[in-house]
Amino acid sequence: MKSVVAMLLAGGRGSRLNILAMLRAKPAVTFGGIYRIIDFTLSNIVNSNIFIAGILTQYKPFSLMKHVGTGVPWDFIGRNRSVKILPPATGMYDYDWYQGTADAIHQNISFIERYDPAYTLVLSGDHIYHMNYNTMIDFHKEKNADVTVAMMKVPLKLATQFGIGIINSDGRLTDWEEKPENPRSDFASMGIYVFNTEYLKNALNQKSGNDFGKDIIPGALKRDRIYAFPFKGYWQDVGTLQSFWDTNMEILDTHSNLRLNDWNVRTNVEEEEMIGDRSPSYISGKAVISNSLISPHCIIEGTVVNSILSPGIRICEGAIVRDSIIMHDCVIEKNSQLDYVIMDKECIAQRSSVIGWGDNLKPNEENPSHLSSGLSVVGKKSIIPAKIRVGRNCIIHPLIETDAYKSEVIECGSTVKNPS
Amino acid sequence: MTKVLAMILAGGRVDELGSLTLYRPKSAVPFGGMFRIIDFPMSNLMHSGIEKVGILLQYRSSSIITQIGNGSSWDMIGRNRGAFVLPPYKAAGTKTWYMGTADAIYQNLEFIDDFDPELVLVLSGDHIYKMDYTRLIEYHLSKQADLTAAFTKVPMNSAHRFGLAEIDDTDGELGGQVLDYQEKPDRPSSQWASLTIYLFNKSSLLEILQPLGKENRTIEIGKDIIPRMLQKHKVYGYKFNDYWGYARTIDELWRCNMDTLGLNPKINLKKWELRTNLDHRKIRDRIPTLVTSSAHIENAIVPQGCTIEGEVRNSVLFPGVRIEKNASVENSIVMFDSCIGSGSILHNVIIDTDVNIGNDVRIGFDEKMKVTKANPRCTVIGQYSTIPNGTTIGRECRIGYRVDAQKLGKNDIKSGAIIE
Repeated sequence: MKSVVAMLLAGGRGSRLNILAMLRAKPAVTFGGIYRIIDFTLSNIVNSNIFIAGILTQYKPFSLMKHVGTGVPWDFIGRNRSVKILPPATGMYDYDWYQGTADAIHQNISFIERYDPAYTLVLSGDHIYHMNYNTMIDFHKEKNADVTVAMMKVPLKLATQFGIGIINSDGRLTDWEEKPENPRSDFASMGIYVFNTEYLKNALNQKSGNDFGKDIIPGALKRDRIYAFPFKGYWQDVGTLQSFWDTNMEILDTHSNLRLNDWNVRTNVEEEEMIGDRSPSYISGKAVISNSLISPHCIIEGTVVNSILSPGIRICEGAIVRDSIIMHDCVIEKNSQLDYVIMDKECIAQRSSVIGWGDNLKPNEENPSHLSSGLSVVGKKSIIPAKIRVGRNCIIHPLIETDAYKSEVIECGSTVKNPS
Repeated sequence: MTKVLAMILAGGRVDELGSLTLYRPKSAVPFGGMFRIIDFPMSNLMHSGIEKVGILLQYRSSSIITQIGNGSSWDMIGRNRGAFVLPPYKAAGTKTWYMGTADAIYQNLEFIDDFDPELVLVLSGDHIYKMDYTRLIEYHLSKQADLTAAFTKVPMNSAHRFGLAEIDDTDGELGGQVLDYQEKPDRPSSQWASLTIYLFNKSSLLEILQPLGKENRTIEIGKDIIPRMLQKHKVYGYKFNDYWGYARTIDELWRCNMDTLGLNPKINLKKWELRTNLDHRKIRDRIPTLVTSSAHIENAIVPQGCTIEGEVRNSVLFPGVRIEKNASVENSIVMFDSCIGSGSILHNVIIDTDVNIGNDVRIGFDEKMKVTKANPRCTVIGQYSTIPNGTTIGRECRIGYRVDAQKLGKNDIKSGAIIE
């Protein structure tokens, strides 16, 4: 018997990450130069000495499947170790897509049963955090709980985005509000659950709902022993473009509690199927680099300030990159400028183009709630034509070619799309 | 397709390299910001589609065994693929250690027989070059040669360091028949130097090697095999005109490293599509390099896992290197996980792995000694050494393995000093 099996919910669309999550599931979005968001949870699992994990996918799973591969980067290989992708499968009906978090686990209960664990750890692949799950499991045992939910204090104004718990002096959950308009507490669920496996199986069989946060947990509070584990370490939901940018930038802040150096996060660097390994970066005599994270295989001749560079990026002479996140294999050509931009993989900013131009902070017209601070986002494999000026709060969709641009200036708040 | 088995001679140390080859053979010396010298022939083999290789070890083989691992770094794993490390062994009536390069092959004839190749490609593990061996093989087959060896043109004044061939002009640029061969002659009469890359017909090799091997004396491929082959067999010279790094002295090794710098370097680490073992020294799991706002980097190779707060010019850094504030590293090579303390200034220095240079140390200064790129007069600091705060070390010093304040004795080390 394995005492713990981890089930990682990685199917979320992450729609507030907008075009970053258009071609891939949110857990597969690049973070911190070389990682994908799911690496943080996968690394927490193995760093907690848990070596059986199921990854439940649904939305655009290809990047994730390729990334997880055989699981070898996280040491999931061995006689008593396994990481399995668990996609939805047709069953009795055609509409057997996962209907919610609890439904996804329910449909894969046979994976858990195969290992017969005393405890089932249900996790989300969406968050940047460092946690030893054993501390939480010990708490769960000590409280003799049926379910334990990891919770932490968040700023009250953000509490509306989370499941909010009310606890008694013993730490037992007495009430629960799912994404409340007027939260009664700032104690928010991190989407991390420890279940007694027997309890989990019973609860799922009763079909009391499809979602843990919306249905199962609130419905069981009066009857069962549901506890809140108070987590005090670093945890960040990177579900919005703004929090995604902010959290990336925390890596550069030596006072931040996001400490990649101490966390032993592992990733799969071989999924890219390159012929050679990513060689070290070359910084030329003309480059200026300040307060930035530089991945391997870059060639830097220009200026890079307060930015996060993924592998394989070329910053040509005279180019200036400031306050930006640039993902794999982008080319920033001569005299181009990026100011406060997230640029997805394999984009080209042609000569003398500018992204993040002007000081008009008009929010993005199509998604005003996604982009209003001035941040602009460029989708995967897009081209910014030479001399084009792209304003602030702009979205350039993935796979945009030069002919999609109708003018020299893309006004602040605009979105550039391919004609559908 | 012709069956080819490669044999890499990777067991040699080189006296001139001093402490750099004290605990590792030359083929395991770190090179070019993340690689080891043996990655060059291993990557060449991979690109040439030769997927079976025996690696002959002798001197301090543990680092090379780690580096080769299971061969998967070069895709040499599978039913018909493999990288096999071949340590010297004891057997009834044999002479244990290898007595020369030819004897090393002789003692592994069983291994060669197991694969029963038509051609045996013998390489050295300690040269820096990119070569497509398939062209050498094509030439060999087209000439129906018994042995084809690769040669490169070297300046007359250094020709005495090499095995030299007189090659006829039948195939011009490509090569020709070897008319005469002399091993390291005092008075060279040819500039065509052997790269110690030998392609043998297996049957011709056996014909010469089997009687020779029984003689129980030191036998070398250059000195003993080639002259015997010239008597009755067809020996061809394949001319190689691209970059070839011998790296047999400290200054040569330094210059080869410097040849990786620039936008169009002689050794183009990116274009050469090298592979290394990313598990060795945990290269794979290191976070991207952090460059702070106090840093200044100019013309440098910068891999992952470094923290750079000081100045780096014309230098090659390896993963895990830390350059503290106000430190200045120029024309130097700093290997894995070494730290340069704040205020320290290094010129023309090779720092081996895990070295700790304290604060305000000066290395490589001596007004009376002129240095040029041709004559850099490098100082070497050996593995695991600790140089105390305020120490001054001159040019061309050799500070050995695990030297500390006590072994150093004083804080002013004059040029040319050797401290073991």
